[in-house]
Amino acid sequence: MRSGAELAVVEMAAGVVLAGAVLALWRKDLRALISLLGLQGAALATLAAALCVHDRDIGLGVVAGVVLLAKGLAIPGLLARVVRADPGSRETAPLVNVPASLVAAAVLVVLSYLVADPLTAVFPDPLTRLAPLGLATVLVGLFVLVTRRKAVSQIVGLLLVDNGVALVAFLLTAGVPLLVELGASLDVLLVVVVLQVLATTMRARFGHVDLDQLRELHD
Amino acid sequence: MSEAAYLAGLVAAGAGALLGAALPARHRVPGAALASAVACLAALLGAGQVLASGRPFALRLAEVLPLTGAELSLDPLGALFVAATAVVGLAVSCYSVGYGAHAPAGRATTATLPAFLATVLLVPAAASVATFMVAWELMALTSLLALLADHRRRAEARDAAQWYAAMTHAGAAAILLGLVLLAAHAGGQGFTEIAAHRGRLSSPIASVVFVLTLLGFASKAGAVPLHVWLPRAHPEAPSPVSALMSGAMVNLGVYGILLVGEDLLGGGPLWWWLLVAALGVSSAFFGALHAAASTDAKRLLAYSTVDNVGLVLLGVGSAGALAAGGERAVAGLVLLAALFHLLNHSLFKGCLFLGAGAVQHAAGTRDLDRLGGLARRMPATAVLFGIGALAISALPGLNGFASEWLLLEGLLHGFASRSAVTEAALLAGVATLAITGGLTATAFVKALGVGFLGQPRTEGAREAKEVPPSMLAGMALLAAGCVALGVAPGVVLPGLERAVSSGLAGGAPRAARPGLGLALASWRGAVQPALVVSGLLAGIVLAWGALRLAPRPAELRRPRHAEAWGCGRESQTARMEITATSFSEPLQRVFADVLRPDHDLEVTHAAESRYFPEAISFHQRVDDAIERVVYRPVISAVARWGRVARRVPNGSVHRYLAFGFAALVLVLVVLA
Repeated sequence: MRSGAELAVVEMAAGVVLAGAVLALWRKDLRALISLLGLQGAALATLAAALCVHDRDIGLGVVAGVVLLAKGLAIPGLLARVVRADPGSRETAPLVNVPASLVAAAVLVVLSYLVADPLTAVFPDPLTRLAPLGLATVLVGLFVLVTRRKAVSQIVGLLLVDNGVALVAFLLTAGVPLLVELGASLDVLLVVVVLQVLATTMRARFGHVDLDQLRELHD
Repeated sequence: MSEAAYLAGLVAAGAGALLGAALPARHRVPGAALASAVACLAALLGAGQVLASGRPFALRLAEVLPLTGAELSLDPLGALFVAATAVVGLAVSCYSVGYGAHAPAGRATTATLPAFLATVLLVPAAASVATFMVAWELMALTSLLALLADHRRRAEARDAAQWYAAMTHAGAAAILLGLVLLAAHAGGQGFTEIAAHRGRLSSPIASVVFVLTLLGFASKAGAVPLHVWLPRAHPEAPSPVSALMSGAMVNLGVYGILLVGEDLLGGGPLWWWLLVAALGVSSAFFGALHAAASTDAKRLLAYSTVDNVGLVLLGVGSAGALAAGGERAVAGLVLLAALFHLLNHSLFKGCLFLGAGAVQHAAGTRDLDRLGGLARRMPATAVLFGIGALAISALPGLNGFASEWLLLEGLLHGFASRSAVTEAALLAGVATLAITGGLTATAFVKALGVGFLGQPRTEGAREAKEVPPSMLAGMALLAAGCVALGVAPGVVLPGLERAVSSGLAGGAPRAARPGLGLALASWRGAVQPALVVSGLLAGIVLAWGALRLAPRPAELRRPRHAEAWGCGRESQTARMEITATSFSEPLQRVFADVLRPDHDLEVTHAAESRYFPEAISFHQRVDDAIERVVYRPVISAVARWGRVARRVPNGSVHRYLAFGFAALVLVLVVLA
């Protein structure tokens, strides 16, 4: 059985990840969203570190470092540069207003608890009981993708999904192999770089980064 | 032994496809044709052994299909279809050498013909649901590719291929549903297993299975109203492919109906077979009528295929209905006649399609109104096409007569049946046989008379040259088959009897007495075509000799001079001769309600007065009324739906993301 202190840290970190996702629905300022992503990254790193201490696994320690660097610092830093470059588009401009979004988030959290039953039943364990938090983060991230208009908020949605997936992975597999986590983190970093370039080019070409204005491109 | 020959045939056909794809251009067509011919001979040998001995073979090739393995078995019924395919395939391989030499064929085109042949040979031997469906779909695919050979040059070929693809895939889906349902309820997918456990099926399930598979098989057979692909696809395919489609592939629709209805489901209620007979009656009448009205030679032949398949289906349906009423002897006779007619149809329709291909090759068109006078320019083709035309018109001495006589005898003897409904169906069948006989004769008098006799109407027809010997040899092989089975039909009757007793659930007593001619076993009724033919020939020789020997009257010996008062008719020109359109005009008027021809008369008046027309042009089209009434509304409804559906993806990224998100949440809700 796992010791109390480390478990408490893990629970706290997982809670912070989900809370970050829900708060991302509430805040409209893109800079606030980016700092929420940084918070999530730090929480994930803390979680990995706690697991490292508990399992005496150096690999997990390295993973914690990578996560902190990539998700806690590099990605938010890159996004912050995009936002700084275009002070006019700081608002997320949601398609669904904030109270409705929060209600939807609540429904999604309940749903993820309902569907996670089979997952938690496989290994009844204090860690796997937290898996619904990760699922809920994924769903809320998807919700952000669907309802937020600006290109940067789309990236934020994608990163929320990724953080949710990472959380589920940490909780269910008791530590992702170093190589996998390294690859995933670098992939996400690359995606962010590509999207950053894309958003910059979009602004240069069309003068805005509102995706709904792009529908003329279809066919 | 028989299985070795059959498998060797399949392998050789596959090798032909590889040769057609791999050889350099000069050797491509002969190489593929040689392999196909070897394949057909081997398959014919295997099938002939099964038909002669009555002993089926069964094989299991575990490595061929993943998970299930391929199960092959050939009973006499399947062997009959393999044999018919092999004979047509042999003629087509021979013909394709000359055909390919004139029109250079690409790798894909050359390779698809042997591949198509292989799949048609394979389907009747499939002995499990998985094997059958794989073979069936391969056949659909290869025939579609073969049909598309000319797609670069002709937009009509693409259109025809679209119709064919849609109809054949809808049909295959129906068959797949039916067979999967059957396998699920019978508890196994091998055909022997299903046949052994058919008692487990409730009768509504059996009926659903039968109707679903009937839909699919009838669309492959080209039964009205599922025939719409056939008059488009057969004319547009290259002639060797049309011969193979019409002479071999279409048969397999009939095979499928017999396989599911009799072999797997063991008979079934009366109404199933009345449905089949009704399909047959409507196809025979509609096909014969359109054949009589068509002016395109290959379209005429395609509609005539609908007609003949209709007669076969009429026979199959009547046999099933009689068997369901317990009249096994008559049922056996009617099925014997139907299968015999199917074999004969393969022979003469193969010959006719090859002949039409030769005409198109030589004259550059297949529109009868632009042909004429070909008998003088291509005499051998004219004679061979003529034999096919006489055979399909069921003239005594040729094979069409033998099978139609048997069918008529069978239907008439069925009147002793106990069920009034069956009797009514048989009566309709006899009437159909009578009217289609007349219409078919009209159609082929038109094809032969307008196309080959008289004077050429266009430059292309005037310049036509006889086709190369290999093409003539292909036609001659099938024409020889028509004559042989017409003079001595008794030769193939024992094999057909074995096919009947394996095709009819519970077997059937002998229907025909052994011998060279046709003689019924249980009833009075016999015809000796050999005697009829020798009598006819003797009569012709005697009459000819008598005319030569008799002293000629004095006025005939005097020299003839042109008439002085010929009413301006100094010489006969092609413009004075009857055209295909005008030949079928009276029939079109009589059957205007069914054919619904479109007339278009344009009169341009002189500027001075509208009482003096300057030019008059007349156009007429006979479109398929069923296509217009049934299919067009469905197609336009689908197109409208498609236009509405195009509004859903409007280019908004958020909408696409929302679809994905909604689908995910929906799945989660369903799981929860």
